[in-house]
Amino acid sequence: MENNTRVAIIAANGGMFDAYKVFNIATAAAASDKEVGIFFTFEGLNLIHKEAHKSLSLPEGKEHFQEGFEKANVPAIGDLLEMAQEMGVKMIGCQMTMDVMNLDKDHFVDGVEVGGAATFIEFAKDADVSLTF
Amino acid sequence: MMEAAKVLDAKGLACPMPVVKTKKTIEEIDSGDILEVHATDKGAKSDLAAWTKSGGHELVDEAEEEGVLKFWIKKA
Repeated sequence: MENNTRVAIIAANGGMFDAYKVFNIATAAAASDKEVGIFFTFEGLNLIHKEAHKSLSLPEGKEHFQEGFEKANVPAIGDLLEMAQEMGVKMIGCQMTMDVMNLDKDHFVDGVEVGGAATFIEFAKDADVSLTF
Repeated sequence: MMEAAKVLDAKGLACPMPVVKTKKTIEEIDSGDILEVHATDKGAKSDLAAWTKSGGHELVDEAEEEGVLKFWIKKA
């Protein structure tokens, strides 16, 4: 039952749509017994920032979708993030971007590990599925 | 219909929650037992079938009753 399929995801954008794309795929994969790792870089860091992930923006002109999210009973990003962590999704925050943005590990949700591109590549080299959002 | 060891009510939940909840709930039953899942997310029809396959479980039966999708999954 347990398999070794590995899913490697790069999260490089920081809006609410981006967050759903990343966390829905990640949690669905983790729930399907895949080994999942996400590399958060540039605006993607918003998705794991302690405060920013709670108030991600909708794209300009698409604000009306907020109502649709509520109507469809889509879980909050915070809930998806928690579930992803519970299911063992590996989360790597990009060190270089954090330096540029003057952020450190404490600004991010617990369980995030900090690393560089090489850390992600080492994880991704054996991935069966690679995705970029 | 086989007797379900457990029934999961995932009605009203959007993707990916039906799959996430099913994953959590199936851990609570024994191998060979049946988990019955109820969902209203239309995507669950293909999602739960795919999930069952990827976990090596068996989708014993499925039905749609008054807008509720029902699945009977036999744990591997």
